[in-house]
Amino acid sequence: MRTAYIAKQRAEHGRKAVTVLPVHYPKEILTAMGLLAVELWGPPGAPVSAEAGRLQPYVCAVVRNALAFLASGRADAVDAALFPHTCDSIQGLATLVKDFGGWNRPAFVFQHPRGASRASGRSYYLRELRALADGLAEVAGAPLDLGRLRDAVQLHRRVDEARADLLDHRRHLPMDDAALYALLRRGEWLWPDDHLRELSEARATLQPEPVQRGVGVMITGYVPEPAALFARLGEAGAVVVADDYAAVGRRVIRPAAKLDYTDPFEVMAALYWAAPPCPTRASDQGERMRHLVGLYDRSGAQGVIVHEQKFCEPELFDVAAIKRTFADRGAKLLYLEGELETELSGQSTTRIEAFVEMVSAARRSA
Amino acid sequence: MIHRRRIEFEVAGRVVGPALAAFERAKKATRGKRAPKKDSPFGPPLEATRKLKELMTTHYLKGRYADGAVPVAWVTSGFPVEILRPLGFHAVYPENHAALCSVQRLVPELSDVIEKDGYARDLCAYARTDIGSVVSGKTPVGRLPRPDLLCCCTNICQTVLYWYRALAAHFQVPLFVLDTPFIYGSAPAHHQQYVRDQLEELVTIAEKVSGAHATPDELADVVRTAREGTRLWGQCLEQSRAKPAPWTGFDGFFHIAPIVTLRGTAACNDYYRMLRDELADRVARGVGGIKDERHRLLWDNLPIWFDVRGMSTLLAERGFNFVCTSYTNAWAEAGSKIDPADPIGSAVVAYTHIILNQDLPNRLEILSRLSRDYSVDGAVLHSDRSCKPYSIGQIDLKQRLSRDLGIRVHVLEADHGDPRAYAAEQAEGRLTAFMESFS
Repeated sequence: MRTAYIAKQRAEHGRKAVTVLPVHYPKEILTAMGLLAVELWGPPGAPVSAEAGRLQPYVCAVVRNALAFLASGRADAVDAALFPHTCDSIQGLATLVKDFGGWNRPAFVFQHPRGASRASGRSYYLRELRALADGLAEVAGAPLDLGRLRDAVQLHRRVDEARADLLDHRRHLPMDDAALYALLRRGEWLWPDDHLRELSEARATLQPEPVQRGVGVMITGYVPEPAALFARLGEAGAVVVADDYAAVGRRVIRPAAKLDYTDPFEVMAALYWAAPPCPTRASDQGERMRHLVGLYDRSGAQGVIVHEQKFCEPELFDVAAIKRTFADRGAKLLYLEGELETELSGQSTTRIEAFVEMVSAARRSA
Repeated sequence: MIHRRRIEFEVAGRVVGPALAAFERAKKATRGKRAPKKDSPFGPPLEATRKLKELMTTHYLKGRYADGAVPVAWVTSGFPVEILRPLGFHAVYPENHAALCSVQRLVPELSDVIEKDGYARDLCAYARTDIGSVVSGKTPVGRLPRPDLLCCCTNICQTVLYWYRALAAHFQVPLFVLDTPFIYGSAPAHHQQYVRDQLEELVTIAEKVSGAHATPDELADVVRTAREGTRLWGQCLEQSRAKPAPWTGFDGFFHIAPIVTLRGTAACNDYYRMLRDELADRVARGVGGIKDERHRLLWDNLPIWFDVRGMSTLLAERGFNFVCTSYTNAWAEAGSKIDPADPIGSAVVAYTHIILNQDLPNRLEILSRLSRDYSVDGAVLHSDRSCKPYSIGQIDLKQRLSRDLGIRVHVLEADHGDPRAYAAEQAEGRLTAFMESFS
């Protein structure tokens, strides 16, 4: 499906495509330069080639599968690859495939400022944005146009507003979790206008009264895989009312202040520091806990699911703090760990059922 | 109160530490010099080892009294400590502490303390050990001083950032992250400017925390001392270019402690002068680290701290010696780039060009250079479950080293800290098979 879409974009709009590793990257620049971003989250399932064996089994499945995918030639429909430095493993993958084989097309990196928000980080971020744009000009065939960047930033704002609206009014949306996540994740490879159209159609179906009656849970983690998780949750009688997946909710920015679009780079910097805290961007842990508590309270969720990928260091380091934070609030919490499987294990299904039952019982007794 | 702590701190470092060392020396002298076991595959023990123990014991003893006496910083191994020293900071190295815990096989116990709270066993053993030690208060060094400032540099991994965030949350003290963008090929100007800007911010923050101010001359003096220490450490390592090598790579893993924890101090440099001279003397006399050096190997990655003795014996008994390691070499390379004439500018270069902060072609170049310079005929790449940045790429490195240099290369699956992630029998079996392939 993605290959056909990439080909269509190329044929109809002359757009080249760039495959992008997780998680955060300045997508607005790619859009402004007419480059279709196609994100590579593994893909899920078993590695598609033996090249995964070039990485040890204790490296996360997202990175091992991405290596297998890139090196197998299955990403050859795109023109370049972008490796945002969001963890040590993606950093290692970038040099491995570029320098030792597996990807012989242009490769770019985007290195986030890590650490507390200081003046140095902000000015570095602005320079890194410009450096990426300069590099991508080689693929795009033209330098970045500031007017187009301004338009792209505004377009992505509209996408974010639509995504935020769907997530914030989850109970009013007549769509199950599996369908909602499928819709939101299509933004990982659709051209933003196409994605916005689909989001707008979904927004039009929002109901004045809640239609999702299941027990509400908040979910946090790296990537919502396997998608079967949502079917199991639904069957057990739960609905996700607050999302903090790195792949989904943490990329939906709700800026508190009004944005001045005079300098689009400055807007991007403002949005960067207004984004939900994420360990892959090295956000402060305390700030993240406060964010999660706020999300939990606003959503009316009655339980928390921490759904992590094995070996994902940025995520795993926060698990203890999340457990502690919600234990202090008396919230029920379920920890699930997987390895990018396509199906959920029977054991996980049983734990989900038991968890939802427990949360439901607590709600009834309250 | 502060005066009392300061007196205790100084007494610990200047009187008690040396007195304990003298007592130990006297005790040993009374017992008489123990002759090495006849069937030991190792050469005579290094005299400097005794001094190393004294130095590190005194360092940790002083640490017990440091908080409240002087400003205390906990720093990562790749952090530019030269900026902190002239401000009077006592530097604590949690990585070194975690290695000590691992040597004493305390990691499972310390890690268990935090695993029950939600820390996954898949996380770095150093981080788990250190956080576990902080939470439980258990440590083999008596007591670690409470930090006033936490300083981590991302030039060795991003893991340290998460580790130190946890420490900052525990201690409720400021965390300074020095972010060094990874170098693919060469460092762009804006990356260098970013690191320079942060170093200047560090000076301001460290001065605020310490309440002290360092003059340019004081900073230059520490940088000069650190560069000299690095040069001396490099000279120690270079002695192993001789055949036989006067010590083993495993010895080097222990003797690295001063350049990590005391870099920029006179004590560190005095120690390495002594070690270098002893090694040079052994070279002159043809005394080897092992008795019968028949094969020379390179080691890549951190050591398996809890099994250094077992592994070195296994190898030495068969005439194999690790004559160079990429890990110990890293401490001889980075610091050589710092320059007292331009402490900040040179620190930008030195602390971004760490082996782990550079791409795989650079790593291959270092491993190849070491292999040639030290005339190795084989290499063991420690695939370290606890250290992904060091381990990613080793499968490809193995093939390239074999192909380019015509040497035998073995990838050894283990962990630098946690014995639960190490199958000793299996590893020894594979190492034995690897060694047999040389015959």
